[in-house]
Amino acid sequence: MSLLTLDSVCKSFGSTRIINDVSLDIEAGEKHAIIGPNGAGKSTLFHLISGRYNVSSGAIGFKGEVIHNLPPYEIARRGLARSFQVTNIFPRMSVFENIRCALLWSEGYRYSFWQLLGRQRTLNEKALDVLEQIGLSDKAQLPSGELAYAQQRALELGIAVASGAELIMLDEPVAGMSNSEAENAVALIRRITEGKTLIMVEHDMNIVFDIADRISVLVYGEIIATDTPQNIRSNARVQEAYLGEVPSDAKGD
Amino acid sequence: MFEVFVFATLNGLVTGLLLFMLASGLTLIFSMMGVLNFAHASFYMLGAYFAYTLSAYLGFWGGLLFAPLIVGCIGAAVERYGLRRVHQSGHVAELVFTFGLAFLIEEAVQFFWGRDTKNYQSPELFDFALFTLFGQEFSAYRGFMIAIACLIFGALYFVLTRSRVGIIIQASISHPQTVANLGHNVPLIFMCVFGVGTALAGVAGVIAGPVLTTFPGMATVLGSIVFVVVVIGGLGSLPGALIASLLVGLLQSYAIAADVGMPELLHLLGLSFDSSHPLNDLWTLNLPQIAPVLPYLLLVLVLIFKPTGLMGNREQ
Amino acid sequence: MKKQLPVWLGFALALVFLPSIFDSVLGISILNQMTIWIIFALSYNMLLGQGGMLSFGHAVYFGLGGFMSVHALNLIADEVFVFSITLIPLVGGAVGLVAAIFIGSFSTRKSGTVFAMISLGIGELIVASSLIFADFFGGEAGVTGDRTYGPPFFGIEFLQDAEVYYLGAFWLFVATLFMYLFTQTPAGRMANAVRDNPERAEFIGYSTRRVRFISFCAAGLFAGIAGGLFAINYEFITEENLNALTSGRVLLMAYIGGLGFFIGPIVGAVILTLMNSLLSNYSEMWMLYLGIMFLLTVIFLPRGFAGFIMMHQIAWQNRRLGTLILPYFVTAVPALVFLAAFVGLVELSHKGDDILPFFGLSLGAESMLSWGILLALAGIGALGVKLSRPRLAAAWALANTPTADDRGDVR
Repeated sequence: MSLLTLDSVCKSFGSTRIINDVSLDIEAGEKHAIIGPNGAGKSTLFHLISGRYNVSSGAIGFKGEVIHNLPPYEIARRGLARSFQVTNIFPRMSVFENIRCALLWSEGYRYSFWQLLGRQRTLNEKALDVLEQIGLSDKAQLPSGELAYAQQRALELGIAVASGAELIMLDEPVAGMSNSEAENAVALIRRITEGKTLIMVEHDMNIVFDIADRISVLVYGEIIATDTPQNIRSNARVQEAYLGEVPSDAKGD
Repeated sequence: MFEVFVFATLNGLVTGLLLFMLASGLTLIFSMMGVLNFAHASFYMLGAYFAYTLSAYLGFWGGLLFAPLIVGCIGAAVERYGLRRVHQSGHVAELVFTFGLAFLIEEAVQFFWGRDTKNYQSPELFDFALFTLFGQEFSAYRGFMIAIACLIFGALYFVLTRSRVGIIIQASISHPQTVANLGHNVPLIFMCVFGVGTALAGVAGVIAGPVLTTFPGMATVLGSIVFVVVVIGGLGSLPGALIASLLVGLLQSYAIAADVGMPELLHLLGLSFDSSHPLNDLWTLNLPQIAPVLPYLLLVLVLIFKPTGLMGNREQ
Repeated sequence: MKKQLPVWLGFALALVFLPSIFDSVLGISILNQMTIWIIFALSYNMLLGQGGMLSFGHAVYFGLGGFMSVHALNLIADEVFVFSITLIPLVGGAVGLVAAIFIGSFSTRKSGTVFAMISLGIGELIVASSLIFADFFGGEAGVTGDRTYGPPFFGIEFLQDAEVYYLGAFWLFVATLFMYLFTQTPAGRMANAVRDNPERAEFIGYSTRRVRFISFCAAGLFAGIAGGLFAINYEFITEENLNALTSGRVLLMAYIGGLGFFIGPIVGAVILTLMNSLLSNYSEMWMLYLGIMFLLTVIFLPRGFAGFIMMHQIAWQNRRLGTLILPYFVTAVPALVFLAAFVGLVELSHKGDDILPFFGLSLGAESMLSWGILLALAGIGALGVKLSRPRLAAAWALANTPTADDRGDVR
């Protein structure tokens, strides 16, 4: 059985249909990329799966449970974590606190107001561990708002993966990075998503073809193809969507 | 019964339109700058006090002309030298700043004019009854208030929908960043809108001063109600502000006029309680008593069930 | 926690010995007020500083706790329930908590303007109802009690203000400790996270509404405890203690002290209580001064007094704090001259025929010379500040650049 199932998902804002009849199955352990031109609805699709928006019609299932129209925190608790296209951290808290907060729910602390964080040894060690993985150990006590951009992106990833969620969704994780920064980020993504299921939106095709097992192409709110990287490369409809239609009478004008 | 209703409606209309004069400025300022100006009613009070002082030299009409101008200049200065700096520290700081400003203006008014009530009178020109209905007189001054309020609403509507400035302002309301990107001097627009908004409050103060008495607490009395009005109407919505102003004005006016309450309700239900009952206060409650509470009750209910207000589309 | 043990010990010792230092009647009375306002301001900061909820109606929980506590004092006096009055703050706290649970259940759904407006509306509702339900709230006159009827607490009957002080100090210590510990728990830390970024908090598994609700209830509890202390200290309470003025006052304290720091509201409560008690004896204008000070703080010290002190952390780490002393002094002297002259002008304008003593001078409102002296002083002071400011700014910049030899460890 698939880990995540989208069944004829539609989303409209007013009379504009942004996502139209999207069906998709993501297997456990799969690395799945969603590509498509700007404005195709990739981020909207992420928001629908993670619960930021409610679906207009259709159904989303995760681990056999219906999750569409649940609030984001309910979905996150079931083991689905995500990052954001625009850096979305807790700017006034330290880097360490950012990660520790991301760990709290999965470590079972819930809304506890009777346990002191300083005494939770396992929790603190795990947080330091995540910091080590994302390479921010030496910035642990710095307010996260003061980090450099690439470091904030790393923290953004760290918050998403800290909870040990089974399904991780990354929205343009390397956007705005220089080449060397992007390289580091890709290595980081590989490392921290090992053995987990990954869905990511990315514009950089090298990274997409490098990481993904399967690719879905989203155009105008519809998935026109879902296949292995090789087959996507040679898919005529995908080329058409990306390169534009080359009509036979183009030269006749 | 009918005459009570008619007069309650007329009084409610006067209160409602007065509220709208304040609420319109507050809404304009909020929609453009995202600042809920807590000190708005304080500018209204300043309007009344300046008009009181000026009317001694220039008469009522001089006060009506110049007091709002002075208030508007003060408002613009507050925006330029206070609010603009505080803006960098975020929304909470801005709210807290205007909160402190309201406090300071009240103290300053007591400093310059003293704590006592000022004998600020409406002009003799209006000392006649506009009409007499069921043996009750409706004073010409109240008619004048209604006329001024309608005039302001008309002018505002005209400026906002027909003039170039109005179009820029309307654009700033919905897309502030875009307007700045188009090369308009947004800080200057902000300063002017703040000035005009506070001047409108000043006008309200000038014409309300004689009726609602001019004293240092007049800002507090009206201040929170105006807030209630703009929130109920929907933050940033001028039509919403108008509807909510009239709604609150009429609601209060009817509640004061309606001489019914718990005793009647209990009588209807066939219940009765001894006056020594511990909840006696509750059983003897009547509508005029709870009239001051009604706007707040309405506010809380609206916020719970429709946090955007009646006509609003923005939550923050 | 272990590292902070000396701080808490110092705090406890200060609480024990303060009345020996300020042992006048006025001194003890001011200390008593401080215990109340510190707890109240700290509880307010749980909302605004730590939870990002701007409330204009926090006095509701303080006042309701206070009213119930006065009624509890009367029940003790009437021997309906008999318990030691040392437990009265718990009565206040329980009432504050219950009220917060009820009101918070719908008001914490949103933060920002919506929350602020609901808090304002609820505040006005409660104030208006307090005038309607005269039996419980005592109308405009309020209700009175007597703290001396209860069973003596180890022989103490709380006849003296000093005895009340130690009761207040005990509750102050306990409340401060628990409010501090709350910031170190998962719920307290998530309150910061929700304040910083409510959207992201939802995606790491937390309901922002529930997180806010917990902070809100805790704030109500501690506000109620402060209200209970108020009832014991003053033995009466009126509608004024739950209205917008009191709510505004606690906002002022927290803000002036500094929202971003745990100690901020303590600093703010101490400063404002001192000003309230001392200045109000000397001048009728003190509220005006307070208003001006508040606005200047919001404009120039957005992080409050505690934030101002913390601004010097980098200079301290650079071991260059000493270089700031002289420039500060050079700017502070003309600033104080200006301040004195300004206050003199304000006071003189309201003296009428009385004489205003001003640093050995006798000034009169009739004398042009008096006005001239003050205006000249104000001018000199302002000029001095203007001239010395660039030097201060330069010294500040220098103190905040790392020194060459420790550039290595300051990263």
